Amino acid sequence: MGRAMGAISRWLAYGGGAILVFLAVMTVASIIGRALDGIGPFGPVPGDYELVANGCALAVFYFLPWCQLNRGHVTVDILIDAFGARAKAVFGLLGDTLVALSSVVILRQLWIGFGEKLPFGSDALRAALLMGYKPYYPETTYELEIPVWSLYGAAVVGAFVMVLVSFYTVWRAVTWVVAGREARI
Amino acid sequence: MGRCGPGGADLTGIELALAAFGMMLVGIFLRIPIALAMGMTGFFGTWYVLGAPNSPMAALKGLSYETFSNQGLAIVPMFILMGQIATRTGMSAALFRAASDWLGHRKGGIAMASVGACAGFGAICGSSLATASTMGQVALPEMRKRGYSDSLSTGVLAAGGTLGILIPPSVILVIYAIMAEQNIVKMFVAALIPGLLAAAGYIITVALYVRIRPGSATAAPRVPYRARLKTLAATWPVFVIFGLTMGGIIGDWNWAKPGPQALFTPNEAAAFGATATALYGVVMGRLTFAGLGAAILETAKSTGMIFFILLGAEMFKGFLAITRAPDLLADWVILQAYTPLMVLTIMLLCYLLFGCVMDSLSMILLTIPIFLPIIEVLDFGMSPQDTAIWFGILALIVVEVGLITPPVGMNLFIINGVARDIPITRTYAGVAPFVVSDMVRVVILVSFPAITLWLVGVAV
Repeated sequence: MGRAMGAISRWLAYGGGAILVFLAVMTVASIIGRALDGIGPFGPVPGDYELVANGCALAVFYFLPWCQLNRGHVTVDILIDAFGARAKAVFGLLGDTLVALSSVVILRQLWIGFGEKLPFGSDALRAALLMGYKPYYPETTYELEIPVWSLYGAAVVGAFVMVLVSFYTVWRAVTWVVAGREARI
Repeated sequence: MGRCGPGGADLTGIELALAAFGMMLVGIFLRIPIALAMGMTGFFGTWYVLGAPNSPMAALKGLSYETFSNQGLAIVPMFILMGQIATRTGMSAALFRAASDWLGHRKGGIAMASVGACAGFGAICGSSLATASTMGQVALPEMRKRGYSDSLSTGVLAAGGTLGILIPPSVILVIYAIMAEQNIVKMFVAALIPGLLAAAGYIITVALYVRIRPGSATAAPRVPYRARLKTLAATWPVFVIFGLTMGGIIGDWNWAKPGPQALFTPNEAAAFGATATALYGVVMGRLTFAGLGAAILETAKSTGMIFFILLGAEMFKGFLAITRAPDLLADWVILQAYTPLMVLTIMLLCYLLFGCVMDSLSMILLTIPIFLPIIEVLDFGMSPQDTAIWFGILALIVVEVGLITPPVGMNLFIINGVARDIPITRTYAGVAPFVVSDMVRVVILVSFPAITLWLVGVAV
């Protein structure tokens, strides 16, 4: 279970990293293209700005599960440390549980947000899938006219894995409470 | 007026905000991730004020995506990736070798060289923790080999690590700039002289330290100038990358006006910096595929942590806005007729106090929505924009002091992790003189705002 979660979130994080690397190289190409603008086929990459903003958003969604799996979120441990290893594990469980619950809320609302950007599907199907109001037209990005629902849909993947991983971390925290102390990650 | 709550008759905005703030602090001390403590306070606070969860739930449909796709924030993961790649290219070792060739023959010279190398590494890395851990691995074994005391060698590296944030690029400055609606280029330019001042202050501190405690350091043999120039020349990529990324965004960004234009936008500069750093690593044969993968995973961890806090802070900010507490508090402070300097001092002391237990980013995100409106209505004899820039730099410095103050100073822990056999109390003792140096610098920068603002006026 832990191995599988580790593998999923690691590869998702690599995916986010690949997006970042692509954006970096694309931006450099765009800078060079802009500098040589007018010479032959050169010119800035169209829509580079919106690619960077939306690409970064997706990268962040793909990074979140790895961060949670590694207890990357900042906590203040100083007070709880004074009560010993088991207390620390108990409050770690509290934190992981709250992360899991809020990641469910985030996924659910992001899913509705996705549904409200997606202009497809019959009303019955959409109602069954909890997809909110159907928009009249597909909203797109400014320059490349990428449909926003596709971006939200890609983000939903990250949010979904985040839910899986955060529930795994709750279970892991329970085993740590039983063991009486947290293991090193 | 100013009352909120279901039915509109319970608490004033300030009382409500204070109660929420208190509950959030309790949560934070109960080891709830700070991002969640902020987000949940914002969520339930908004629910309480509006009497129903519909509005915060509706906001959440788009809030996560919109927060993460903020144009100004795209620079953050790029700079983090750049710093993480830089730690794997051997630049830190090259910087340290050059600095120790030039300074090592002085008493305490290797410690001074560590400060110099940290400053150099800070110029391509926007994170204090990465700077401290990288330079710690390079410089600590060298200082111990040459008989430097445990306190001095760990203390100087923990302090030197803070230069990673103080010298631009700096992740926290990006976030401050967005919250305060200031131009990020101006913030970076403003941070430059205070950052160099910090490095100079640390070097002077080392000089005084070894004078007071002569047994704590040694002097290495003098290195001939030819060899010094050679090792200095090996650090060229740092100068080129810093020069192009930071130099490239300075210029006249008012595109309507004639004159020199900036080469890049800040986002482009970060992308360029990351690409150039990686390219250098590949060409030198130091950055392997596995190394890039490790850099990405570290980037994922820091980026996930930062953006989760940002999302929580966004919820919290929305709540604060509907209580109107920041405005009411600013009005109240004006009515009390406190002198601006007194208010500023209290705020900076708050940062120092909280810095002992909290991390810098959370502190900035929690306090800026409350502190900045107050600072902006006080008369410091500068334009509101200059005041915001100046306050940002001061806040950055004092929250960074939190990284080296016990009991919770992340840099101290990181250096301690590099040398596990040195008791952390030695590091606490060793870092104390550097904290004093930080305090002296804050007093200087508060007294002479021109030190911070002069370059902004000249360069941009």
